[in-house]
Amino acid sequence: MFVFLFAPIAIVVLFSFNKTASLTFPFHGWSLRWYRAVFSSPLYRDAIVASLRVALITVLVVVVVGTLAGIGVTRHDFRGRGLVRFFMLFPAALPGLFLGIALLSFFVQTKVSLSLWTVTVGHLVYVVPYFFLVVVSRLQRFDYLLEEAARDLGAGPFATFRRVTLPLIAPSLIAGALVVFSLSWDEVFITFFTIGAQNTLPLVIYSTVKQSVDPSVNAISTLLLAGSLVFVLSVRRLVADLQQ
Amino acid sequence: MTATAVARERLVPIGFSARRRQRLVVALLVGPAVLVVAGALLVPAANLFVQSFMESGGYGQVTYHFTLSNYTDALRDPVYRTVAWHSFGLGALSALICVVAGYPAAYYITFKLRRGRTLALFLVVVSLFTSYLVRLYAWDTILGSHGVINTALIHLGIVKEPLLFLLFSRTAVLIAWVNVFLPYSILMLTSSMQNIRPDLLENARDLGTGPLRTFTRVVLPLSMPGAVAAFTYTFILTSGDYITPALLGGTSSTSLANIVSDEFVALGNRPAGAAISFVMLTIFFLVYLVLTRLEKLRGI
Repeated sequence: MFVFLFAPIAIVVLFSFNKTASLTFPFHGWSLRWYRAVFSSPLYRDAIVASLRVALITVLVVVVVGTLAGIGVTRHDFRGRGLVRFFMLFPAALPGLFLGIALLSFFVQTKVSLSLWTVTVGHLVYVVPYFFLVVVSRLQRFDYLLEEAARDLGAGPFATFRRVTLPLIAPSLIAGALVVFSLSWDEVFITFFTIGAQNTLPLVIYSTVKQSVDPSVNAISTLLLAGSLVFVLSVRRLVADLQQ
Repeated sequence: MTATAVARERLVPIGFSARRRQRLVVALLVGPAVLVVAGALLVPAANLFVQSFMESGGYGQVTYHFTLSNYTDALRDPVYRTVAWHSFGLGALSALICVVAGYPAAYYITFKLRRGRTLALFLVVVSLFTSYLVRLYAWDTILGSHGVINTALIHLGIVKEPLLFLLFSRTAVLIAWVNVFLPYSILMLTSSMQNIRPDLLENARDLGTGPLRTFTRVVLPLSMPGAVAAFTYTFILTSGDYITPALLGGTSSTSLANIVSDEFVALGNRPAGAAISFVMLTIFFLVYLVLTRLEKLRGI
């Protein structure tokens, strides 16, 4: 099963170091020419910058908004709490196609010109459920006596949050942020509809693959994989630290 | 938690103003996130719904004149109907394969592995987070006419011409989908199997039940919610996928999602695309409803 899951990826990584352009198996030698091609191409460079920009802004906004909502839902009992919970998770139940076309027709309607900002809005609503889940599941395991103790010792609500709550939930927030980053970094479905003139990395790969066989796609794909792998590994480290 | 709540209540009697302040705090905490989802999903979706009842006024234009023709067209058109059967059928088939193939893997991970369990789960998660697009491209390089399989076959002299049915076919789409969504199934099945106490399996074995019977009578019923979740999730995401059919499916398997995306991007007929997408959502919802109902009925 793991062979089936990983073999295709292994092949892409392998061919990214191939000397020749063909995809045949007797290798003619190793080279880094496809990586050089990627880094010297302004198309790929711009796309990497665009993807990074979208992902970073998405992460920043969702961390603030999602953490606040997570605290609101776990700490306070209010009417409509169940509805808010449902609402936060709802975007995950819809295919990206639907989110994409709904946003596209809304932007066209309101005459908002498509740009990386419209892409960011799409990514934002797409990642909210995932971050919300991470925060809520951490806060549900939170020992409230710690906050109570801080209050008893005279700390105000903001001091309590900054000095007690935040440091304790920080690893989960970082883990959630990394998950969100890699979701945004890979996203094609919503991006396809909400993108303007600038392209993100997955869209450049999509159009290149659709048009021709270009071995530099192997190299850029490997870079993309390496990126997400770093994130998964750091999440694993964080989780391991948490469990200790 | 309850002790804290009691303590808090005794220390701070909640009066009218306190309740009001509490309401303000909740609004400040939950408000921004609600605003994001409402602004970027609810309002656009409502707008799309309204548009699905309007007339198209040429490329990219919408004429505000009420009509049901988008829906009647979507439901009556024989081409749409064939495509719908194909894409929902293929989606259901891939979801079924994912669940069936996910079962042994999840069973093995949950009940047989001891030390390697964390590692196995970690690998599943890694494969989940490796770029969707890269995996599609990988299948393209494997199955394509200049791909790994074909060049190997030609090299070995087994075939003279590249086998074209490998790529640009429903089989290619199916293989890629199973590759992409199998990890989700495994994770969902594993998490539902983790609720089964291992001593239940031991009891069954002690009572002389064979392994197959233990599986069908104990493991299968108790993990059914996970299977339903995995099936629905995969079914929705595969039937709503327009990237995989466009890259690997060729012309042979235009999907309903491709039709929707074409109506929006290539043809500029947003009302028609909107109507088809709402028909799709209705079908997804019905499938979900039927499956969860069946799952509940079985429990009685």
